[in-house]
Amino acid sequence: MQGILRFFEYSGFANLTPGHILMVLIGLLFIYLAIRHEYEPLLLVPIGFGILIGNTPFLENAGLQLGIYEQGSVMNYLYQGVLKGIFPPLIFLGIGAMTDFSTLLSNPKLILLGAAAQIGIFLTYLGALVLGFGNPEAASIGIIGGADGPTAIFISSRLAPHLIGSIAIAAYSYMALVPVIQPPIMRLLTTPEERKIRMKPPRAVSKQEKVIFPIAGLLLTGFIAPGSLPLLGMLFFGNLLKESMVTKRLADTARNAMIDSVTIILGLTVGASTQATTFLTPQSILIFVLGALSFMISTAGGILFAKLMNRFLKGENKINPLIGAAGVSAVPDSARVAQTEGLKADPNNHLLMHAMAPNVAGVIGSAVAAGIMLSFLM
Amino acid sequence: MSNPFDFSAIQPEHLTLAATGYGVVFFSLILLYFIFSIMPKVLDFRLKKQPDLEGHATHGAHHTPTQSGEVNAAIAMALSLYFSELHDQETAILTIKKAAKTYSPWNSKIYNVINFKGAQR
Repeated sequence: MQGILRFFEYSGFANLTPGHILMVLIGLLFIYLAIRHEYEPLLLVPIGFGILIGNTPFLENAGLQLGIYEQGSVMNYLYQGVLKGIFPPLIFLGIGAMTDFSTLLSNPKLILLGAAAQIGIFLTYLGALVLGFGNPEAASIGIIGGADGPTAIFISSRLAPHLIGSIAIAAYSYMALVPVIQPPIMRLLTTPEERKIRMKPPRAVSKQEKVIFPIAGLLLTGFIAPGSLPLLGMLFFGNLLKESMVTKRLADTARNAMIDSVTIILGLTVGASTQATTFLTPQSILIFVLGALSFMISTAGGILFAKLMNRFLKGENKINPLIGAAGVSAVPDSARVAQTEGLKADPNNHLLMHAMAPNVAGVIGSAVAAGIMLSFLM
Repeated sequence: MSNPFDFSAIQPEHLTLAATGYGVVFFSLILLYFIFSIMPKVLDFRLKKQPDLEGHATHGAHHTPTQSGEVNAAIAMALSLYFSELHDQETAILTIKKAAKTYSPWNSKIYNVINFKGAQR
């Protein structure tokens, strides 16, 4: 009888708390959104399932070595890749190997939209300070506005490791919710005439330009913000593997097998890190609110800057301000949203290719912003 | 209830970080913009300078990568359609199946026949 009671003590039923139930429901919601509505399924399925793994209750501190925060557990070993900031640069390597910077090179002025959209990062940093967060925590929270999961994880692993779970979940949630969050802001800040602006087709880009871009980009951003080197170094390296055309096998591995493997482990461990006993705090809720704010400000920043640029541009050089929203670096979802909203205004106006330029510039911009934060605060 | 907003938490150094940070992001991307705005002109200039086989400077008009996206898309589509028709070799490869079996005394017909004859004797 005592054995049965002991077995029950160790079971999930005996250790269940309302927090576990809430987190399991959130995990199920993520999985539902991913499968039913296809919101970032490659991220939300691993994260959602990770939340289920992390919130299956068990007797903590009994030496079972099960929880992600318990030294020696398998999940803890996998989580080291997140804690030590190893996974984000590897993800950036894959992103670099799959990103085509042609649209950005064909119309370089669109790079500026990617810079403008980073305003959310810095305003949210100040907002987080006002709400009582410390300097490093505020910087980590602000990066959510860059809408770049790996960058958010990378900077919080360095500046605020205790907030990684909340920040990563917030960043990836808002990336998944791009099609829900951005359109109302886009419609609010643009007129129907502006949404109909047709942009001139991008010119073809030579191979030389494509090969020079990652090298020049790395040297330039690396010299200005060395803190961004782990991320941008890998991003541009991956892109050189792709564009050089002589390392096809390496590029294929980086953009397929490697990024997929890392995404699986990253998503699962980030999800599992939301263990109810450590995750459900008032701080987490504040982080979610600030993250949403940051994301909205960044979206608005990109759109408003596009409108400002239009004041100085004429004729066919004018920019459809909808693509400004793609300055947040949720690649390629925010570009897709710009395309969808553009088609609603004019069914023959395809903005996808144009929107990819600020989109990839946003990746560079948010990584540079992260590098600057690190340089100031480390 | 106490006010959750403490604006005095923002010190001058925080404002400096925010302003400098945003400025540096802009500065680095503006530099990229300038470099890649002049890049096609520099490359084009270099191409124009390259002499052709007869030793004359080429005029570069047909070298410049300025064809529109639609033209490129049309060319790519045509090439794709053309190459998708060339499937004879692929189908041949797909239908080739190895008919011969690897030799082994265990499945040799000759041994079987000999043994059968031996058994009859």
